[in-house]
Amino acid sequence: MTAPRLAAVDRALALVAPLPRSNGELVFDEPWQGRALGLGIVALDEAGVSLVEFSRFLADAVGSHGYDPAEPAAGAYYAAWLDALEHALRTRGVELP
Amino acid sequence: MSHDHDHDGHHHPVAKSPLELRTEALEALLAAKGLVSAEAIDAVVSYYEHDVGPQNGARVVARAWSDPAYRTRLLADGTAAVQELGFTGFELNTLVVVENTPLVHNVIVCTLCSCYPWPVLGLPPTWYKSAPYRARVVAEPRAVLREFGLELAPEVELRVWDSTAEVRYLVLPERPARTDGWAEEELARLVVRDSMIGTAKAMSP
Repeated sequence: MTAPRLAAVDRALALVAPLPRSNGELVFDEPWQGRALGLGIVALDEAGVSLVEFSRFLADAVGSHGYDPAEPAAGAYYAAWLDALEHALRTRGVELP
Repeated sequence: MSHDHDHDGHHHPVAKSPLELRTEALEALLAAKGLVSAEAIDAVVSYYEHDVGPQNGARVVARAWSDPAYRTRLLADGTAAVQELGFTGFELNTLVVVENTPLVHNVIVCTLCSCYPWPVLGLPPTWYKSAPYRARVVAEPRAVLREFGLELAPEVELRVWDSTAEVRYLVLPERPARTDGWAEEELARLVVRDSMIGTAKAMSP
């Protein structure tokens, strides 16, 4: 079950904000990033946010997060991921600080 | 990695990064609202643990089994040897590789938190971070390994290695019998994650 869901996420984001990879494998600079990915996949599903809809939030967040050469690529991506996740959840009435 | 420490008898928790704290806080908040459960997230993360990360470590082990010169370099300087295969990262600043033999079995733990060589092993499994594993594998390692399904003969010396912020460990498991002539890619498929933590042996063909 998990693998197909992840594959669906991977596919949905591939063209707009692809998951960070190195030599074909997903990369995480720090463990919280993997946790954030898992958290997002579960929460989006439960909140009824489609992957297509989320991909738009994520593309916006990646764009507005900016690029800092000192920041590892996966770190910047998953920081944007958290922004997009919170944004998406708020559209479903989830109250967040 | 956060809340790491040294092991000169002193543990020094290090502040978590803002993004790590933010992730934890968001998970806690969503769990309180019933939107997520730790188990559901664990299931997703488990996918990475088993299918995404450990193959890097498995490649290292398979190379060491196939190439005696590489094995020697790996045991002498794990950090440099895994860099040869392209694996680097803060968590690998000092990687010590400990070798299992018929008479010595190694197992790794982080007694206070979850220091782990994740660039070669992926994200740590949930049990690795659990208080019972961290405490019991030191106090009664044979009993813990038995619960993992690994029964060691009484004559086998058991060594427990406590990971730190500065030093991470990787177990080089014994090469399974009846694998003479196998290619590295074939060998790597026998190297399960837990065999590189020391809670299991490599799979038999």
